[in-house]
Amino acid sequence: MPSHVYLHVPFCRMKCSYCDFYSVTDLASARIEAVITGMEAELTQWSSNGLAGVVETVYFGGGTPTVITGGLVRLVRSALEHFPVRAGAEVTVEANPDSVSVQLIDALAAAGVTRVSVGVQSFNSTELAVLGRVHTVDEAKAACSAVHATGLELSIDLMCGIPGQAAASWVETLEQALRSGADHISVYPLTLEPGTALDVAVSTGLVQEPDPDIAAEQMMIAEEVFAAAGIPRYEIANYARPGHESRHNLAYWTGRPYVGIGPAAHGMLDIETARHTGMVHGPGPNVGRVRYGNPADIDEWLLGRATEIELLTRSEVLREDVMLGLRLVRGVPHGAVVAADLVDVLISLEESGLVERILNSGLPVVEEGVVPSMRWRTTRRGWLLGNEVFERVWTGE
Amino acid sequence: MTDPRHIRNFSIIAHIDHGKSTLADRMLQLTHTVQDRDMKEQMLDSMDIERERGITIKAQAVRVLYEADDGVTYQLNLIDTPGHVDFTYEVSRSLQACEGCLLVVDAAQGVEAQTVANALMAMNAHLEIIPLINKIDLPAADPERVRHEIEEVLAVPAEDAVLTSGKTGEGVREALEMIVRKVPAPSGDPDAPLTALIFDSYFDAYRGVVALIRVIDGSIRKGTKIRMMATNTVTEVEEVGVRRPANIPMDELTVGEVGYLITGLKDPALVKVGDTVTLAHHGAEEPLPGYREVKPMVFTGLFPIDGDQYPELRDALDKLTLNDPALIYEPESSHALGFGFRCGFLGLLHMEVIKERLEREFDLDLLATAPSVEYHVYRTNGEVLEIHSPQDMPDAGSIDRVEEPYLRATVLVPPDFVGAVMELSEERRGTFRDMQYLSKTTVEMHYEIPLSELIMDYFDQLKSRTRGYATLDYEVIGFQESDLVKLDVLLAGKPVDALSFIVHKDKAFSRGKILTEKLREIIPRQMFDVPIQAAIGGRILARETVKAKRKDVLAKCYGGDISRKRKLLEKQKKGKKRMKNVGLVEVPQEAFMAILKVDE
Ligand SMILES: Nc1nc2c(ncn2[C@@H]2O[C@H](COP(=O)(O)OP(=O)(O)OP(=O)(O)O)[C@@H](O)[C@H]2O)c(=O)[nH]1
Ligand code: SF4
Ligand SMILES: [Mg+2]
Repeated sequence: MPSHVYLHVPFCRMKCSYCDFYSVTDLASARIEAVITGMEAELTQWSSNGLAGVVETVYFGGGTPTVITGGLVRLVRSALEHFPVRAGAEVTVEANPDSVSVQLIDALAAAGVTRVSVGVQSFNSTELAVLGRVHTVDEAKAACSAVHATGLELSIDLMCGIPGQAAASWVETLEQALRSGADHISVYPLTLEPGTALDVAVSTGLVQEPDPDIAAEQMMIAEEVFAAAGIPRYEIANYARPGHESRHNLAYWTGRPYVGIGPAAHGMLDIETARHTGMVHGPGPNVGRVRYGNPADIDEWLLGRATEIELLTRSEVLREDVMLGLRLVRGVPHGAVVAADLVDVLISLEESGLVERILNSGLPVVEEGVVPSMRWRTTRRGWLLGNEVFERVWTGE
Repeated sequence: MTDPRHIRNFSIIAHIDHGKSTLADRMLQLTHTVQDRDMKEQMLDSMDIERERGITIKAQAVRVLYEADDGVTYQLNLIDTPGHVDFTYEVSRSLQACEGCLLVVDAAQGVEAQTVANALMAMNAHLEIIPLINKIDLPAADPERVRHEIEEVLAVPAEDAVLTSGKTGEGVREALEMIVRKVPAPSGDPDAPLTALIFDSYFDAYRGVVALIRVIDGSIRKGTKIRMMATNTVTEVEEVGVRRPANIPMDELTVGEVGYLITGLKDPALVKVGDTVTLAHHGAEEPLPGYREVKPMVFTGLFPIDGDQYPELRDALDKLTLNDPALIYEPESSHALGFGFRCGFLGLLHMEVIKERLEREFDLDLLATAPSVEYHVYRTNGEVLEIHSPQDMPDAGSIDRVEEPYLRATVLVPPDFVGAVMELSEERRGTFRDMQYLSKTTVEMHYEIPLSELIMDYFDQLKSRTRGYATLDYEVIGFQESDLVKLDVLLAGKPVDALSFIVHKDKAFSRGKILTEKLREIIPRQMFDVPIQAAIGGRILARETVKAKRKDVLAKCYGGDISRKRKLLEKQKKGKKRMKNVGLVEVPQEAFMAILKVDE
């Protein structure tokens, strides 16, 4: 049975210029009510199928879960009723500064939330405007303090590669982030998603195109600044004070099954669980994993329209695990690489300087030969050129 | 047998897009050759590529029966011809099978360059020319102006030009009446020994070569023992018939008639377009005047992206040449691209069409190198080389001189744009010959210009600099000496033979610079710096660098992203597979055509 649950709350106050996540800005209360009720029905479904046990992490993402305030508190309670958590579990809520208040944080904490991930993006108001964010720098600082004050774990999201983002401003944002009290920070380079407002603005020349070289530079600066502050990178875009890594997200990168609930939510199930849900019927012996995605449309989802289902073969599962595992700074064990039949691929990537072999001690391997505790991980160059690595690992060529 | 007095043979000729095929549609309908329910637009454009691009590539002959106002049912053999300059030879062949032609002129566009060229061809073939002003339904139609242009520019009397609309069908009956009245009936001798002109042919996998013929004298029927005069091949007629537009077998084709001939000969080389068919015994002594062979003018390398497809490419080219004698090919090998073929075409459109057909009909994935022309290289040792590829250019030291093909280009343009045409033509090494006002609105300009310059986007530039008004026609006038050099391109320090091109010395620097800049845009950033250099001999003229990419990573990868991002990676991988690995450098296909896009 899956030990991780993701719930997607598809509402936002306004659409950010770069965003292509599924969320709507129609905040009519009937609409919100319908979605919450629908998600509760989905939770009930899992329980009545006998598939909802005690879990280790629950994650409320979006969208902006905090815009539905009271509705969110109710949703947290329902979720934790169906999927109870053991002591010390991680229950995260994504929040945007414009919809965070001390009262809401208190209520969420009382309902069982342990961790809040605040979408700060930048501590510079011009950059926030380019991103089309609805909040101010002060609201971002206040939101962080509110979380911190309540004693919940604080994580914040930052963005680099924003058109017009000067080097000094980036360093300033990094320092503000360190001062916010966050033990977990994510750093994403801005990407132009086709069809977004930002994409249109760039193609019509209103906004400069994001420069990937500048973003690369900024990612490296972030890594240095945070490492110096005792918050090392543990994944491509994620930094944590040791012990504060996101356990929910680690589940994604280590091939652990998770349940997805709500419109546009995705889940990944082992084959037995998938068969129990009725999502698949006696798939061939070769299928090792099932990924599903709920319809990215509230109405279709409410109507119970079919989810998108993807079956992965056993060998695809092995390759996917190596691919995702290489996102982590700690990399993947040599055994996983052998099992996925990727030794040759990784050796040739090693020759191009994108990956390296290390012992658990963290020292590069000096001698040839298989050491039980040997691992593979990306080099610093391979970190920023990850697609070269992932593409070859996933296709096995 | 049809009384020759009741036969009319005519071609429909015009500048591209003036509505020939649409008029042919209306004629097929009006004569009930095709039922309304089977009718589709530009019915005679039967190839996929013709239908998609909306242009005629191959001439089509079809027989219709028309009951005229005088009560007689006439046999009309009409040939719809292509308007594009690459396929001019199709027009000239078609004209030889006819006594008259409909010269179609768009009522809004007026007389354009291929109108002039095609009208001249019809005059030289001594055909009765019936002018026809088409598309009169267009709001911009100005039949009076066009009538004037026809008279002034072409010196063709146009006071009773037929006004038609292929769209509404208006005037089409009048056009047919005009043909019946004006076009002379064929004048052959039914009792003389058979002579028939092969004006077209195609290859049918089951029937072998199908020749389209025009009977000049005598008659031909199943079982007749015939001789192809040029190839001196004797064979027996398996079937004759007419196209309506499908093949309908007939007992015989008699004097003046147009139809098809199947002999069972499988080798297209034995059934040559332009040859005369006569009787095997006691045949005609003299063949009909044939055709000049069409010579390809533009050459390009075609390489399979996947080297394993080389044998398939050879078979496919073999098959296509059966239906397209203007296409030639010879093996070519390149360090950068492996094994492929150097192919000769009539022009850029012809090249595009063939490449597309190869890819589509034979499921091949091809890379084409930039087109070049034929060069005549006179070496210091007295040897003369005809080269079709820059790769074959010998060392500069061993060359005495090089000649390249020149064209006489005719540009028709409104007076306001004369300056723009002059400027462009001079940039492209054109020599001004003369110009004259054909009418108040049209100037005809003549240039001598190297073909190699013309294929470098001259036409696109001409169109854009004259707001689309200028039209162009050209013919080869021969080879002339030029100061030419071979420019090499180096990627990551290694010369890439497939990127070399031949250029006039005075242009080498600017073209080299533009090309390296273009390549810098086209070649994606790789894991290392890729220097791009243009060089003559060992001398570097220009240099650019594609900087190594520093960041290429999907930074956000959570639950919902995994499947989507995996698909993105797969797509990226596929994209790379369509690129050519030149050494370690991944080069997209457009790179090999970049030289054509050097708008200076
Ligand atoms: N309005 C209008 N449009 C027409 C008429 N005749 C043809 N067209 C349009 O003009 C375009 C060209 O028509 P075609 O019949 O393919 O011209 P074409 O002369 O055969 O062209 P090529 O064979 O490529 O030289 C098409 O889009 C037709 O629909 C007409 O009488 N009136
Ligand atoms: S808040 Fe997040 S989900 Fe909502 S529009 Fe902005 S980026 Fe997208
Ligand atoms: Mg046509």
